[in-house]
Amino acid sequence: MDGLTQETSTAVERASFAIRLDGISKSFANAGEPLEVLKNINLTVAEQAIVGLLGASGSGKSTLLNIISGIVKPDRGQVCLCGAASDEFNDWCAIGYMFQDDRLLPWRTAIRNVEFALEAGSLPKTERIQRAHETLKLVDLGRFEEAFPYQLSGGMRSRVALARSLVTQPRILLMDEPFSRLDAQTRTLMHAELLRIHELKRMTVVFVTHDVAEAVVLADRVAVMSPRPGTIREVVEIALTRPRDVTQPEVTSYIQRLLALI
Amino acid sequence: MSELTEERALVRPISRKLRLDLLTQRIVLVAVFVGIWWLSSLSVPHYILPGPARVWEALQLIVRNGDLWSNLGITFWRVAIGFVFAALVGLPFGIVLGANKRAGDFFEPVIPVLNTVSSAIWAIFAIIWFGISNATTIFVVFMTAMPLIITNVWQGTRTVNADFIELARVLRMPDWKVMTKIYLPTILPYFFSGARLAFGFGWRVSLVAETIGSSSGVGYRLRQAADLIRTDQVFAWTLTLVIMMATIEMGMLRPLENYLFRWKKDAEAQ
Repeated sequence: MDGLTQETSTAVERASFAIRLDGISKSFANAGEPLEVLKNINLTVAEQAIVGLLGASGSGKSTLLNIISGIVKPDRGQVCLCGAASDEFNDWCAIGYMFQDDRLLPWRTAIRNVEFALEAGSLPKTERIQRAHETLKLVDLGRFEEAFPYQLSGGMRSRVALARSLVTQPRILLMDEPFSRLDAQTRTLMHAELLRIHELKRMTVVFVTHDVAEAVVLADRVAVMSPRPGTIREVVEIALTRPRDVTQPEVTSYIQRLLALI
Repeated sequence: MSELTEERALVRPISRKLRLDLLTQRIVLVAVFVGIWWLSSLSVPHYILPGPARVWEALQLIVRNGDLWSNLGITFWRVAIGFVFAALVGLPFGIVLGANKRAGDFFEPVIPVLNTVSSAIWAIFAIIWFGISNATTIFVVFMTAMPLIITNVWQGTRTVNADFIELARVLRMPDWKVMTKIYLPTILPYFFSGARLAFGFGWRVSLVAETIGSSSGVGYRLRQAADLIRTDQVFAWTLTLVIMMATIEMGMLRPLENYLFRWKKDAEAQ
């Protein structure tokens, strides 16, 4: 296990990396007892790569995502972003985050929801609206700028959420089971949408999923996690061209291989 | 993709038809009321129940000699001041009590206790403390409106969605922006319904306060008219109050609320 992660990390060290996790461990207090959620996680994600964190519930994959985003601090180990040598937070290494639900503010229109992500910073209003406008067009929702969330379908809301996570022009996009609440058809559409935008913007994507097919369809590499405590069992390279389809035999064989690993 | 337009097309004509229906019903209701009033007034002396015509004359009198506007103005001013103070105190307190569970638990019994104290008791205290002055009415309005606003804002603060706070954290939003961009919009509908209630109550209790602790205002005029057995004037004052409250409520507050909270699904469907 260690040998494999070591090998992949030396392979990418020549190029610059987007994310490097060194010996990440994390415990939470659970009814007085410390519960080890993550244990000695080592993972390097190359720039512009799409990496899936795959595992059953309880494998700590969402916690790992939150550690990368900086909202949760690890007990041990460090997170280096955008080629930085230390785990200091970099302003220039913007991170986008997409939640499991669309999490749109119901009192804001679509464009104002997208704008929200820029409101933490100091951009002037006109500039914020302009960027939100462009990003909504990017996700093909230009016509629905003034719609309130309740007026949009699940897929459209998901697109607004995607636009909100992209409007800050992130170098890294983190996604926590982002399409798991959509129906199968819409989910497939959103997968294609994400890959299309990735072709355009070339941001690094790390997504969490428990859906093996989703992992194979989207990712360049899939890190399979084992539960309690969460460790990376194996990193599997998906050496297939896109677009991928679950009906293709190569895809199916990867799915079989990953299923055996979980 | 056409869901949006379809939904709008469905909602609008239905609500317009309903509104027209409602208007007709309201007009019929007023006509029936005036009719019954007129019939009843025929068989009793005018100082017990004056007829519509007599009240209309009294109304014209107080309009002509300027009594109406000056007294309505002073009462409105007192209610507004008391209400603004209540909002200024109620909003921050409600937020603190809602956001801080410990403070909320500690102060929980205070609000029901405040609510059980009758406005008449506040009026008596106010006379003891402030005498016959503007402060008496303002105080009574304040003491009545403030607990209502606190209760509503408190309740609203507890409904703030923790997921939205997490979203703001991920975006590294500073605390004061979380306050203005997440807390305030969530609380606003609650504050608004509390304020509406408080404003209505404020009007009613201001009259009580003015009848016993003031030498001007609608409440004072009402008592004066009653003392002089000018029942037609009592009716005239009452009528103006009802009309004014209905105008404020239906002409200003409700449209404003509908506009502010148009993002709510059920508000749209009404």
